[in-house]
Amino acid sequence: MNMRFVSASVKKDLARWWQDSTAILIWLGIPFLIGGLITSMVDGQSGGTPTGVLLIADLDDTVLSGLVAGAYAQDQLGELISVEQVTLDEGEKRISSGDASGFLTIPAGFQDAFLNESPVILTLKTNPSQTILPGIIQDVTEILLDLGFYAQQLLGDEIARIQAAGLGSVPSDAFVSGIAVDVQNRLQTVAPKLFPPIIDIEIVEPPPTEPQPDMALLFLPGIILMAIMFSANGLASDYWLERDTGTLRRLVSAPAMLSSFVAGKAAAALTVIGLIAGITLFVGFAYHGIGWQKFASSLTWVSLAGVGFFAWFAALQMLFSNRRAASLVSSVLLFPLLMAGGSFFPLAALPEWIAAIGRLSPNGFVADKLTIELTAASAWSIELNNWLIMFVMTLSGLAICGWRLKTGFARR
Amino acid sequence: MLEVTKLVKQYGDLTAVDTISFGAREGSVFGLLGPNGAGKSTAINCISGLLSPTSGRISVSGHDISSDGKAARSLLGVVPQELALYEDLPAIENLRYWGMAYGLRGQALADRVRDVLHHIGLADRAKDLPKEFSGGMKRRLNFGCGVVHKPKVLLLDEPTVGVDPQSRARLFDLVEAERDAGACVLYTTHYMEEAERLCDSLAIIDHGKLIAQGTVAELKSQLDARDALQLTGTFPAPGTTDAIQSLIASIADLEIISQDDNTLTLTLSGASHHLPDIFQAISSAGGNITETSLRSPNLETLFLLLTGKELRE
Repeated sequence: MNMRFVSASVKKDLARWWQDSTAILIWLGIPFLIGGLITSMVDGQSGGTPTGVLLIADLDDTVLSGLVAGAYAQDQLGELISVEQVTLDEGEKRISSGDASGFLTIPAGFQDAFLNESPVILTLKTNPSQTILPGIIQDVTEILLDLGFYAQQLLGDEIARIQAAGLGSVPSDAFVSGIAVDVQNRLQTVAPKLFPPIIDIEIVEPPPTEPQPDMALLFLPGIILMAIMFSANGLASDYWLERDTGTLRRLVSAPAMLSSFVAGKAAAALTVIGLIAGITLFVGFAYHGIGWQKFASSLTWVSLAGVGFFAWFAALQMLFSNRRAASLVSSVLLFPLLMAGGSFFPLAALPEWIAAIGRLSPNGFVADKLTIELTAASAWSIELNNWLIMFVMTLSGLAICGWRLKTGFARR
Repeated sequence: MLEVTKLVKQYGDLTAVDTISFGAREGSVFGLLGPNGAGKSTAINCISGLLSPTSGRISVSGHDISSDGKAARSLLGVVPQELALYEDLPAIENLRYWGMAYGLRGQALADRVRDVLHHIGLADRAKDLPKEFSGGMKRRLNFGCGVVHKPKVLLLDEPTVGVDPQSRARLFDLVEAERDAGACVLYTTHYMEEAERLCDSLAIIDHGKLIAQGTVAELKSQLDARDALQLTGTFPAPGTTDAIQSLIASIADLEIISQDDNTLTLTLSGASHHLPDIFQAISSAGGNITETSLRSPNLETLFLLLTGKELRE
């Protein structure tokens, strides 16, 4: 191989491709656009716990109805549900317009009915366009009603005494302490039945697991591979351009070796793809806070893979008899590959059997190993056999390009 | 310098080049003349190594193009019929690249590129992109890329097709300069006037076969100063043939070159003086002449006489 001619070919192609720098910007821009959209969507979804709004029209306006309303805002439930007191009309209007997860109406006479063990109807309207939060509100409401029923069964006498004493006036200390003692005695009586220590619960801490990378990071390898695949496919069409402009025919008439020409074009492609990979990786590393010690290994892996894709796209395109067919087939192949290889949805987030199929695609293989490199504890985590596979794939693609040039593609 | 011996190139049943042999020496221009599709480009592609000959031998300064291809190709310069340039690479970079493809480097390359740029008149446009050039400028750069390495044998495949007269004259000067510098130039064309102007010797090719070869003077002498008379109209056989044959007694060197129902081609000396007799004979045989073409002796006439058809058909 004539290294001087390899070098001349690299300079020649880089100078030519630089004239078409718009293409490089497009190859960079599309994945950044898609990546930005995906990242913003994923980040938006993981930004916080969804909360629902429960509207309560308290027509009873008593201590007990206030306790019911307050029960929804207790502890962790309060993080899920935001309670708003509304009038009946406002509540009806807002739940009809889907402006809340649920609307609870506590009717007038609720407290009296509870104390007298009379029937009473609480009305809960839920928002059908939501699924989880209205269900939680409904469950909590049912639990509250059950709690009220058991309180009636357990503390019926005490409740009757309170009712007889009348809640409108301030009770005496003796009355309150008497009620408290009676309630305490009643609870102590039933405690062995309610809280039997029959089951000894041992809480076992789960083994510590590796922290799971966030979804946006899992998208990164696929997005980078998208940029690489676009650029590799675009650069590969340069063989057809050279053929159409007659320079390949002139080259065949020259003593320079075609292998040097192929090597020069591959080296030029490596430079461009390396630049694109470097920019996308740099942005990804900076955005996700990935350790910079992994940058060189990631860039080497992606750049080598890019030259491999360039070689195979070129070999594929050179099999066709005209440029249009070559370009069409190459482009048609590109998008299923991107889809299968996890550029539109990360393999790590797919069911294992689908991810296994995706990893069989060339770009899926590369993206999978890049994911390993990006999420591993240390740099150079891609195993040696995977590097060998990549080298063999790249060299065989370049060999096929050389073979096609010699067997007629360059001579037509 | 360039020896082609019994060259054959077949594509299946089609024989594009049929056992042609010729030689060209240094410091001369050898023309390969023939109509479109005659096999000129196929022959030149075999010589340049683009095509593998079916049989025959091609030698460049003693190097066989098949068995010692790299050495042979290093002595060849090719100026293809179609432009073969990087239109998105400055003119000077085009020349540098092709110079390196032929092994030039360093100061020798830089000097040669500078000389060629002056030679082809593009020194002031060296850093411009060819896609911004006129057609004639591109042709000159295309020529420059073929001669940047000072080839011993320069192959020019119809370099003036589609070129304006001014650029054509400039290209002629460039070819003559290469010849004067000692190169052996193989020049294919279907323009007879180009061959007459440039070529020291030439071969006429038709349907893949060489039908005449020699210097321009030698080939013209085959005509014996006879004119070519081509008549178009209606010429019923055998009456017309008999009428013309009857004239041969009075017109000594009259000869029928070709004849069909609508075209009759004759050769004779001083044709203009015999036109009335010829018209009378054809008319009396029931023929009808609608068009007459009379040509004085030149290579075009020779081709017509050799093949019975126009060179540009």
